Amino acid sequence: MIELQGLTKIYGDKAAVDDVSLRIDSGEFGVLIGPSGCGKSTTLRMINRLIPASRGRILLGDDDVTRLPAEQLRRRIGYAIQSIGLFPHWSVAENIAVVPGLLKWPKSRIAERVDELMALFHLDAGELRDKYPHQLSGGQAQRVGVARALAADPEVLLMDEPFGAVDPLTREVLQDELLRVHQHTRKTIVFVTHDMDEALKLASRIALLNAGRLVQYDRPIELLTRPADDFVRSFIGKADLGLKLLSRRWVHQYQQHATVQDASLAQTGYTWETDAEGRPICLHGGRLNAEDREQRTEVNQEWSATPGMTMKEALSRMVWFRVMVLPVLDDQGRLIGEVTMHGVMGQQPCA
Amino acid sequence: MTDGRAPEERRISPVIANRVLLTLLVAALLGAALLPFAAMAPNRLMSGQSVGVTTALLPWQWLSLAALAGVLALCALPRPFPARAARWVTLGAAPLWLLLVLYGLGDYATRALQDASSAARVSQGAAFWILVFCPVLMIVDAFQRLNIGLALRGLYTVGLGVVIGALFASGIFDALSIMREYANNRDTFTAEFLTHLRLVGLALGPALLVGLPLGLLARRRPTARGPLFGVLNFFQTIPSIALFALLVAPLSALGEALPWLKALGVGGIGAAPAIIALIMYSLLPVVRNTYAGFAGVPATTIEAARGMGMTSRQILWRVEVPLALPVILSGLRIVTVQAIGLTVVAALIGAGGLGAFIFQGLGQYAIDLVLLGAVPTIALAVVADFLLQILVVLSKPAGTR
Repeated sequence: MIELQGLTKIYGDKAAVDDVSLRIDSGEFGVLIGPSGCGKSTTLRMINRLIPASRGRILLGDDDVTRLPAEQLRRRIGYAIQSIGLFPHWSVAENIAVVPGLLKWPKSRIAERVDELMALFHLDAGELRDKYPHQLSGGQAQRVGVARALAADPEVLLMDEPFGAVDPLTREVLQDELLRVHQHTRKTIVFVTHDMDEALKLASRIALLNAGRLVQYDRPIELLTRPADDFVRSFIGKADLGLKLLSRRWVHQYQQHATVQDASLAQTGYTWETDAEGRPICLHGGRLNAEDREQRTEVNQEWSATPGMTMKEALSRMVWFRVMVLPVLDDQGRLIGEVTMHGVMGQQPCA
Repeated sequence: MTDGRAPEERRISPVIANRVLLTLLVAALLGAALLPFAAMAPNRLMSGQSVGVTTALLPWQWLSLAALAGVLALCALPRPFPARAARWVTLGAAPLWLLLVLYGLGDYATRALQDASSAARVSQGAAFWILVFCPVLMIVDAFQRLNIGLALRGLYTVGLGVVIGALFASGIFDALSIMREYANNRDTFTAEFLTHLRLVGLALGPALLVGLPLGLLARRRPTARGPLFGVLNFFQTIPSIALFALLVAPLSALGEALPWLKALGVGGIGAAPAIIALIMYSLLPVVRNTYAGFAGVPATTIEAARGMGMTSRQILWRVEVPLALPVILSGLRIVTVQAIGLTVVAALIGAGGLGAFIFQGLGQYAIDLVLLGAVPTIALAVVADFLLQILVVLSKPAGTR
């Protein structure tokens, strides 16, 4: 648990962070977001005291962070930054082992921990352990950076735009991995970004800052549906608000029963054809226009959904294939339901 | 442009593959044709009679040299050797040339003095020096173009050094004038050589002791940087002889005022002013490179280290020093070579060292005595440079090498 109480940072006569109070509970994924210069990075860096606070308190669990020696505090808090800051003269394994080394863990335990973390981040230990940072791809280096931040099993993980410098494709993958790791480790995370889509994808709580002040601190869905003021509304962006909302809705919330091999086409306008194991082969009909009713659509990787997929992605797949319905598959690829355009349009996304 | 050739090959002009090699070769051949290879004099003070290459060397010797020149000429052309092979052939032919020139000179001196008076002298001429330096530069050039590892380079250099050392040990050069000077001054030579090394060491030690912290200070305190570099730059602009002279008066006064300092050898002339001047000259490169080394450590790396919970001392020793070391050692390399050269001038104020022979020789107009001081100084500088270069490469962290 992290609690900021009236946190303020003054440079000269200007408050970079102005009386910010918020609480991120254990296991939550808190995101600090706002335009450039809003004080989000400064706030983050006051938590591990890279920047001393001018006023206010920060509680880490029950401890006031200023009561602890700075170095000891930082070893309890994982820290990952945009430029990664891997030590260029140390191998991947040595980089990950930094904080355990500072905490004087026994060698064998450090080695075990390094292997464990590399496995967690899908880094091939055999190939990468002894590589140096300049030999890694951007995505690999960023994974090593996050693994290093988690190495000593810190109570809290601070991340300052960690995926800002990687290409969009890799960023997506890294975000998915971070979500998976978060679910797996249940660490309290404080994550700084300026990208609303990233925040909506990752956060369980979003703190929106502007000019050093906390404007709104809420669950993502509330931020979208009940913005505190015009600044929040404009920062979220009105243009694709509907799609943003769907990015916080999941297929399982919209899933309906799928009709298999039913002759009564007239009722739904389409029917599924499955194999003996219940895996869907294709869809008959399901098009907007009645004359396309007989058209077959093959089920494949691109045209199907899983219960954990966001509705934004499901909708995108429907639009792309111009089919009004999308099959929902389980792990074995069996048909367990469907999501439909009617379903998307018929349900209030704010609920 | 897909003509199927490697980009490096495409750059090469069709007529000449290696301009550097060809230039060196032409210089060597012109030098050999136009300048005296050696000089024979009735005694050490009289200027001698010049002797050309073909006169000084036996026919087999200069014909072999001509043949090696032919091989090297082929290496400079695009045909018949492919680029890499040409460089390896150069690495084989150039040292043979060098050894043959050295041996030829010694052999000539031995033959020429067989039935001359004991005062007669044979000394090396301009063509000899050209014929020695050209193959050395050819070797350096070939190494650079081959871009081969330090270990192999070191091995090759040491091997060549051993063979040349063996030539000296065999006594083939004993008849040469410079070696006669050496034989006459053997004891003083060893003493002055050691004095030279001691002066360099006594200057570099304190220069590092003071310069490294100053460099770090310049990195940590931007306000101190300007004045510090201003003062050090000022030292650097004072001509060395002037600086030595300027130190004489205050140091002699200091020596008079404090007898215990005088007992330690501090006075207007001698080692003390020399060492102080050398330290002052060495400080700028040491401080500048230390500063540059620390400034080159990425700020994000240091921030990450702080964020991980390293103490300032841990950041300094585990992160900053290892990453800055190659640049700092490059500074050490510069000052070492510089100090070896400057120490020569220190002989003027009675500090001793190899410069003593040079100034003694200049006073007596005995060029061979000058060379007895100059040649070892150059050799010392080259060896120090070579060793420190190896150290610089070794100091590069594995991840950044």
